[in-house]
Amino acid sequence: MVNALVPETAERTPRARAVRSAVAGRVRHRRRQTVVAYLFLAPVLLFFAVFLLLPLGFALLLSTSRWSGFALGDIEPAGLDNFTGLFADGSTFLTPILTNTLLFALGTVALALTGSVLVATCIDRLRFQGVWRTLYFLPIVTTVVAVGNVWKYMYEPGGLVNGVLNAVGLDSVAFLADPDTALPSVVVVQAWASLGSAVLVLTAGLKSVPESYYEAAALDGAGPVTVFRRITLPLLRPSLLFVCVTQFLTGLQSFALITVMTRGGPGDATDVAALEMYRLAFGYGDWGTASAAAFVLFAVVLAITLAQLWWFRRTGEDA
Amino acid sequence: MTRPRRTDGPPDRRPPHGSPRPSRRHFVLALPAALLATGCAAPHRGTGRPGDPIVLTLLSHYASGELKEALRGPVDEWNATHDRVKVRTTAVEFTDLLTTFMVRQAAGQGADILHPYCLWNGQLVRAGVLRPAPAEHAEEIRRGYSAAAVGAASVGGRVYGYPTELQTYALYYNKRLLRAAGVDGPPRTWRELEETAYRTTRRDRYGNTLVQGFGLSTYDDSTTVGQTLALLNAAGGAFVSADGRSTGIDSPAGRAVFGLEDRLVARGASCPGVNVYRAFPSGQVAMVISAGWWTGSLRSQMGADYRDVGVAPLPLPEAGGTRATLCTGFMLGVNTASRHPREAWEFLRWLNTERTAAGKGAVATRMSALQVSAGSLTGRADDMRALLGAGGGKGAARDPNLRPFLDALAYAVPEPNVPGAQRAKSLLRTNIEALWTGRRSVEEALRLTRRQVDQEVARAW
Repeated sequence: MVNALVPETAERTPRARAVRSAVAGRVRHRRRQTVVAYLFLAPVLLFFAVFLLLPLGFALLLSTSRWSGFALGDIEPAGLDNFTGLFADGSTFLTPILTNTLLFALGTVALALTGSVLVATCIDRLRFQGVWRTLYFLPIVTTVVAVGNVWKYMYEPGGLVNGVLNAVGLDSVAFLADPDTALPSVVVVQAWASLGSAVLVLTAGLKSVPESYYEAAALDGAGPVTVFRRITLPLLRPSLLFVCVTQFLTGLQSFALITVMTRGGPGDATDVAALEMYRLAFGYGDWGTASAAAFVLFAVVLAITLAQLWWFRRTGEDA
Repeated sequence: MTRPRRTDGPPDRRPPHGSPRPSRRHFVLALPAALLATGCAAPHRGTGRPGDPIVLTLLSHYASGELKEALRGPVDEWNATHDRVKVRTTAVEFTDLLTTFMVRQAAGQGADILHPYCLWNGQLVRAGVLRPAPAEHAEEIRRGYSAAAVGAASVGGRVYGYPTELQTYALYYNKRLLRAAGVDGPPRTWRELEETAYRTTRRDRYGNTLVQGFGLSTYDDSTTVGQTLALLNAAGGAFVSADGRSTGIDSPAGRAVFGLEDRLVARGASCPGVNVYRAFPSGQVAMVISAGWWTGSLRSQMGADYRDVGVAPLPLPEAGGTRATLCTGFMLGVNTASRHPREAWEFLRWLNTERTAAGKGAVATRMSALQVSAGSLTGRADDMRALLGAGGGKGAARDPNLRPFLDALAYAVPEPNVPGAQRAKSLLRTNIEALWTGRRSVEEALRLTRRQVDQEVARAW
């Protein structure tokens, strides 16, 4: 006898079975879609795994190990010794290497930013803007080795720069041979070489400033300095933020230009973190300390970038 | 009571006998391992089939120029006359040599025969890359080469390879500039060196150097560290102690060398910012200390003006002292990872010790003939005398300027090659440059070098 008062269980009704089957079908379909999606993503994921995650993990492992770079089986755990060694008494990593790195980046950003704002503003008022932008962009398509060598010859005692100084009655300056002038001399070259990309970004930023603002300011009788300070600069802020962050990142990781021009010398006057890391790893076979230095530099780069973003956001610019 | 068989869930897919089937996690772990294994697979070194020849790989820095051509000759000769063992050479630029050793070794693709700069020997031995020479080869090397060459190819008293080119340091001088300053001949003491340097120096009214009396240059390791260590050796000092665990730079000899260089820079006789390799051939440097390989470059760069170039033994602090100078060099050694070490050592013996007719009646080893043809020297003094006496080679052997370098083989001191030697050399260079640019005094530079080098050398052991 069937008890009619007992409700039918979900499993028993045909409708419930149909619902269950549909749900299972949807789950299977979604799972299949997920698999297909991952298959499409696989090349990119593999690329990131091989060229980003694997080296990152390996560098992390090395930063807490001792390794001469020759046999993978020779990696010995060293705890935090490599990190403490970097900041130990007598180590040159903090001073002058990290200090030089920061001064180099700061000097490059300051010079390149000021120069590019000036140049971009001038270009914005000229005819044949494309030609000017191309001219300023040319150093970007020139190899760093060529740029470094040309400037090196220009800085030499009998070079072009000293020739100009002598022509106006001034004594020669040993730009790259004097520890006091070597770093600023290289900073000038780096700023010059990176001016083109900054000018390109800033001229694009200037184009996006509505003309009506300038017309309104002109009607109110604002002078060019006031217009620049109150209209142009504030509206250029997103472009300035981009230029500032990217130039700082480039400056902190700079390697090639210094290698070509000074190789870190004279003494350690222009020695920077990236150059020192390269020497430690490939020259001295001290991969542990080199990896530890890389992570310290990463922390510095991250802290400075976050500080820049925070500062711009505080002043009203959403990054 | 037996456990009831589960019927409501997915079937248990575990295979019997408890051996788990590979899961997705296993695949994820296995993939990078497989990639690594593929990347690290051994290179082609012959088919391995019985009867097929063994192929030995030789990695050197003879990537271009005369040396590349010079090495090809004996290697081709070996390959033509030996059926069982063939040699294949690979070359990279010197600046990439250590990096290439490192990367290939880590990838399991290290060459059978390596040609390192002897400065790296300590580092390579500590990393287990170089195989000690078998007793009979070590004995042959000790017997056939100068003490400096053997020292350069040894670490901790153990020989690791056959020395190849050897560079001793001597004083290059411009005869015309010395004559113009009223100086008859090259200086023999440091006092004469200083006087000659001050007399030959000339500057224009803006302070630009027209002629440097003595070429101290921050251009590279050779111009900075090489000549400082040569002067240190001449003064009876040593950069690294006999046990290889500390530096001897902070000594009376070191103080004398740093003092001499400091005076030369301070009084304007030296201009460290100038590239001496360009300034000397242009007649803008009166004297400079450098290695023997430079004679070949100067000959081709200067043309007829090369007749103004003279070479003399390094001046000594005092007249009548014991001669000494620096020597640097390369060697051919066998990789610990080589699967055919016996064959590799046999090839090296054939290349470095078997004597053949080297032209114009001279009999010498293939390596010595090879080096002299490219304007360089080896640590085999008898070979060098035979080859230079015979006048073979492309102008090099007739060059009297090579003689002082050859004579120096008898008293040269090998460049220290302890583990950490490269780092120690860089630290010394940094401190020398700081001294030359007036950033540190003689005492500060010596003290700091000692502290930094001792710390680094100790770490490397």
